[in-house]
Amino acid sequence: MTTLSYKLLSNGDAGFTILFDAPVSETLSRQILWLSKYCQQTLVEQLIDVIPAYQSLTLLYRPSADNYRVVEQALQQVLQQPIPQDDYQARSIIIPVCYQGEYAPDLQFVATSCGLSTQEVIALHFAPQYLVHMLGFSPGFLYLGGMAKALSCPRKTIPATSVPAGSVGIGGNQTGIYPQASPGGWHVIGRTPLKLFAPNRTYPCIAQPLDKIIFEAISPQEFVRLSEQPLNETK
Amino acid sequence: MTIEVIKAGMQTSIQDAGRNGYMHLGVAHGGAMDTLSMQLANWLVGNKPEQPLLEVCLLGPTLLFTQAVSIAITGARFELSVVDKNGKAKPVHNDQTIQLKVGDTLHFGKRLQGARAYLAFAAKLDGKATLGSYSSHFLANFGGLHGRAFKAGDIIRLRQCRRCETRKQDNGAQCYSGKYLLRCTDSVETAQFSQAQKDAFYGNSYTVSSASNRMGLRLDGKVLDNLQLAEMVSSGLTQGSVQIPPSGLPIVSSVDGQTIGGYSRIANVISADLFALGQLVAGDQINFAYVTVAQAHDILVKQQS
Repeated sequence: MTTLSYKLLSNGDAGFTILFDAPVSETLSRQILWLSKYCQQTLVEQLIDVIPAYQSLTLLYRPSADNYRVVEQALQQVLQQPIPQDDYQARSIIIPVCYQGEYAPDLQFVATSCGLSTQEVIALHFAPQYLVHMLGFSPGFLYLGGMAKALSCPRKTIPATSVPAGSVGIGGNQTGIYPQASPGGWHVIGRTPLKLFAPNRTYPCIAQPLDKIIFEAISPQEFVRLSEQPLNETK
Repeated sequence: MTIEVIKAGMQTSIQDAGRNGYMHLGVAHGGAMDTLSMQLANWLVGNKPEQPLLEVCLLGPTLLFTQAVSIAITGARFELSVVDKNGKAKPVHNDQTIQLKVGDTLHFGKRLQGARAYLAFAAKLDGKATLGSYSSHFLANFGGLHGRAFKAGDIIRLRQCRRCETRKQDNGAQCYSGKYLLRCTDSVETAQFSQAQKDAFYGNSYTVSSASNRMGLRLDGKVLDNLQLAEMVSSGLTQGSVQIPPSGLPIVSSVDGQTIGGYSRIANVISADLFALGQLVAGDQINFAYVTVAQAHDILVKQQS
């Protein structure tokens, strides 16, 4: 194991972001998660929140000069060592998606932009097993790795002011599902009837970092049928 | 006892100091946008500084109280009046304890200054915390009252109503002039911006766009041009982050903002100035000024003392 090359930057007066100079990978995500848990355990007094991401870890501390020093020193120290991988046992989670009609308003745009047919976009999109790198953006949103490069499509220049809950989008070389109706800059190519976030569930989200997501193409009829079931209220 | 919502106002909701520890699930801190006004309102009625209270936005509510209780209103200035059960009206004022009697109706009239007022009660709001806070999360519809802004006809339940001694804030009233200087430190991608772009950012005056809310404030003004920012990999986004999307116009994240973002950040508003985001109204003028992280911490210590 070698140490990770990184940059430690202030993220305002109440945060640090560690940017890792390593490609996005499951290994890196496991290391970032390990580091995130390590910091939460060792900097209990200082930290308010942690935000692991693809190639970074953001740590929010109670803003003060003392906490700044303590957190910075702790990070510099731990980052001198090789970072172990978190040993979380990943699960596979199936998410049904309707890639048709009103559920897929930007499908044609993505197809045109990628030089593919809409059928090819759909087939390429549900083929892989996606890796959950992290959660964020809005409650329960999953950042997924593993999308086919052929589906890369620049984000919208002006973010849409509202995208429906369950929308499956592509932005840059990332794909994801909007858990709530929200503003967003990604192109929407489908929608799931599943509820991705429910604050009263023991674990409010549908998946955890390092879990695997499998999309299953469904018809608009199945979408309506599944929407009517209170399926993940109790999951 | 109950409060009956006669008129809801534009976005009246239950807020507190927000929730910590859930950003890794995508749940932002939330809570009162103007935490200084929240703390003052609670102090005026003898509460702990972060007790849940009502946040009133731009257009205020009309509320009927079924029991005597002490309340206080801080933050944005509205024409305020209390009408008793016999229909007799009297004006009431910000920043001091107000003693309400059974059957009093509190009216928020014309807004005079600022965007958000805070209404605290010498009582406990009924209900339970969701993910560690009473704050209303509008996007995911949880917390507060059904996770949404109030509607006419809603009933707010209070327990342990008290009458407390009258207190007044003695430091002089907050003034929301419509012109604000937000102090900023560098952010994660500041080095990606050219000196000319940073000079323009700190030199320009911006106006607050009407497309602003608890998630973030969009600003209008001169666009930052010649943007040649690397398409960045999404990373942790915090309150006060000033993102520059391809349009070249800044977006300032606020309490309900995204926890992860993909636009480059030129700066972060300092913690001591975040409260002001809660008082910005469309058309207000914003200037940014640079400070170091160490200065930001000093400013915060002075503000809290």
